[in-house]
Amino acid sequence: MMKDISIGRYVQGDSVIHKLDPRMKVLLFIIYMVTLFIADEPITMLAAVAVVIFLTLLSKIGPIEVVRSVRPILFIMIFIFIINVLTIRSGETLWSWWVIKVTYGGLERAVLMVLRLLLLIVATSILLTLTTTPLKLADALESLGSPLKVIKVPVNEIAMTISIAIRFIPTLVEETDKIMKAQSSRGAEYDTGNVFQRAKGYVAVLVPLFVSSFKRAEELAVAMDARCYQGGVGKTKLHPLKLKASDFLWFFILTVVAFIPVAVDLLPKLI
Amino acid sequence: MDSNTKDIAEYNLTVKAEDILFSYETNSGKDVVAVDHASFTVKKGEYVAILGRNGSGKSTLAKMINILEFPDSGKLSVFDLEADKDENFWPIRSHCGMVFQNPDNQIVGTTVEEDVAFGPENLSVPLPELALRVEKALGYVGLLEKADKQPSSLSGGQKQKLAIAGVLAMQPQLLILDESTSMLDPKARDEFLQLVARMRNDKGITVIHITHDMHEAYLADRVIILEKGNIRLNGTPSEVFSQVDRIRELGLELPKWAELLCEVARLCGVETEQSDFLSEETAKKKIREILKDKHPDPKMKTDKKPREVSDQVILRVTGLSHSYDKKEKKAISDIAFDVKKGEIVTVIGHSGSGKTTLISHLNGILRPLEGKVEVWSEEEKKYISTEKNNEIKKIRSHVGLLFQYPEYQLFEETVEKDIKFGPSKMGYDNETCDRLMREALPLVGLSEDILKRSPFELSGGQKRRVAFAGILAMNPDVLILDEPAAGLDPAGQKEIFGYIETLRDQGKSIVLVSHDMDEAARIADRVLVLKKGEQVFFGSPEKLFSQETNSYAMRLDKPCLVQTMSELKKEYPYINDTVFDVAEAAQSLVFGDMKEVDAQ
Repeated sequence: MMKDISIGRYVQGDSVIHKLDPRMKVLLFIIYMVTLFIADEPITMLAAVAVVIFLTLLSKIGPIEVVRSVRPILFIMIFIFIINVLTIRSGETLWSWWVIKVTYGGLERAVLMVLRLLLLIVATSILLTLTTTPLKLADALESLGSPLKVIKVPVNEIAMTISIAIRFIPTLVEETDKIMKAQSSRGAEYDTGNVFQRAKGYVAVLVPLFVSSFKRAEELAVAMDARCYQGGVGKTKLHPLKLKASDFLWFFILTVVAFIPVAVDLLPKLI
Repeated sequence: MDSNTKDIAEYNLTVKAEDILFSYETNSGKDVVAVDHASFTVKKGEYVAILGRNGSGKSTLAKMINILEFPDSGKLSVFDLEADKDENFWPIRSHCGMVFQNPDNQIVGTTVEEDVAFGPENLSVPLPELALRVEKALGYVGLLEKADKQPSSLSGGQKQKLAIAGVLAMQPQLLILDESTSMLDPKARDEFLQLVARMRNDKGITVIHITHDMHEAYLADRVIILEKGNIRLNGTPSEVFSQVDRIRELGLELPKWAELLCEVARLCGVETEQSDFLSEETAKKKIREILKDKHPDPKMKTDKKPREVSDQVILRVTGLSHSYDKKEKKAISDIAFDVKKGEIVTVIGHSGSGKTTLISHLNGILRPLEGKVEVWSEEEKKYISTEKNNEIKKIRSHVGLLFQYPEYQLFEETVEKDIKFGPSKMGYDNETCDRLMREALPLVGLSEDILKRSPFELSGGQKRRVAFAGILAMNPDVLILDEPAAGLDPAGQKEIFGYIETLRDQGKSIVLVSHDMDEAARIADRVLVLKKGEQVFFGSPEKLFSQETNSYAMRLDKPCLVQTMSELKKEYPYINDTVFDVAEAAQSLVFGDMKEVDAQ
């Protein structure tokens, strides 16, 4: 019943963005983040919206998936909006009541802040989570982080840990389901009773889950030993990350695109 | 890193152990000897089975061969290389492959091919060869089209094949199977064993196979039996298993055909010899010889007393269907059966046939999409149904459900608290909980001095029994047991089935899911057969395995005993071949044609 649990929110596809080297994507993500923070005028923000829409179209990700990735931060966006509207007072007063005063400047600021956050999340989703498998992402971080080995950061081991964690998510979900059913059979309650009864219900699930996870970890360590695991030393890779000409080309194109809003912002000032 | 991939030189003996000792310290500071001065050898290309009760040191022994553990004393060499020398460490380990018991806990890769690549990657195999090895290994075990899938999408049998592929890609000389088949269903187990046989044939790989299954042991060239870390028997299967009394003393069993031979010989007062235990054929030959010239003592004749089952229906399932996803095919459809007071109904079917889905309905863990599950309530003198939310708690106090490997559900600090968890949730007061707990303990062979201990420091078999007691303490009328004996050694399995029979005799109704066809048929009053979510048979085991029912079409393997008896029936038409108990089968062979004599 739980055979195909998707890890993360990866959406399969063969778009340009899907095929782009994950390291390039991580770097592009940083570039987009910087340019989005530079954008500060309504006109530049508008350009940024256009750029992110362009990215979305390029990735062939449907609007539903994009909306879904924004939903979790909806609450935060509303919160930021309200805070900004209420605290920033500049320009024309639009509406006021008792101590509350909504100004044109505050409203503008609030819209810009929320829009920036929204674009940031969509850009992250398009560039990383929706188009890159968690494993590729781990590979990218391992590769980009490899200079840290000089200062004795165990980059390979961290990447291995992440990939094992990813591998075991479905197993643990299945296990949790099994234990919950077993404890329900013994009368444990998760959805009824008062807070303490519910908490107790979850203890009955979490303790066995921890115990079996430790056992799994122990057995997995032995199995890895048996297959001659010795850390990153001398380890080869079945699918090593390889940069192709097209990766460089798209990296260049998308970097140029990323700077469009900045250009829109700066050009009038230069002229 | 070159030493990793370097081929080892020609060698004579795969394993040579002289007087090896291994001990470890427990949490309580006690020294436990796991392997006690053991000496043995394994020749190149040999297939050796290692048997013994749980905790007899089999796994430790295997781990020492792979240098996952070091012996405290004694001499161990693998591939003629001394295991305690540093320079031999990688050559030995990189040529040993190991497949463990739990399929989930040995898969490292996020995809199937990544997992196969893990071993050779560690051995620094460079790229074109690495990809080739992965492809070849996956092709060999038949998982090539799953290469880019997540391991969690595989079945248990496929996961074990994946583990084999991972080992194969390292091109091992020695394959160690540590109870690798014990969590598989019969079909997956057969496929796995065939794969191992093919590897031996094609590649001349030496195999050391730790197992609890006597039929698997018979596939080996040699059998080593351990008890408390000591090697008690070491010889060919027939040398070992012809020492019948010794085998039973060691908590092991014989294959069904061998048991039948022993029982027939006992009834007729004939001695058996080692040569009779060579194979099922030689055993049948001996049985024929005995029967040709039999002079059984009529006093040995016993009659089977038919068991009385009451007519009162305790659990009733009608038209039950369920699907997890509305778009998908139903997980189970149109199931209808009933369980009477004091009756055992066994549910059999391959993995994925819907057994777990079905039993999860019986105490309201899952609610029916269509149909009904009703349980008799003695207090209210009426049937209560799992449809109503407010009756679920009542249903669960009537129907106790014990899932597979229930030891993983223990969570309290003490055994006492854990056993009392269920009854206290059912709303019994402390005194009643205490009484129920003390009544439950002896039913599963536990004594009260275990109560203050932590469940996590107990042995696997004890944990299983504590979990069983936790369900019994809820004092249910119906017990649903999912593979209650899985993973235990033969003696442990026998104990569990013994408890089940006692509970039935006390009037409990039992629904039992089992892969062990012999045990399922022997213990059952009625059998429910599921195939791909559909109910294809519900009736007595005799009817299921009789000529008129086409059990073959249900893709069921007949119990081993029935297979042997069916063969013999061709020559002895008077015998009853739908028997599931060895003693009964032997009675039928020896006394079956003497009915008329009795009547005169």
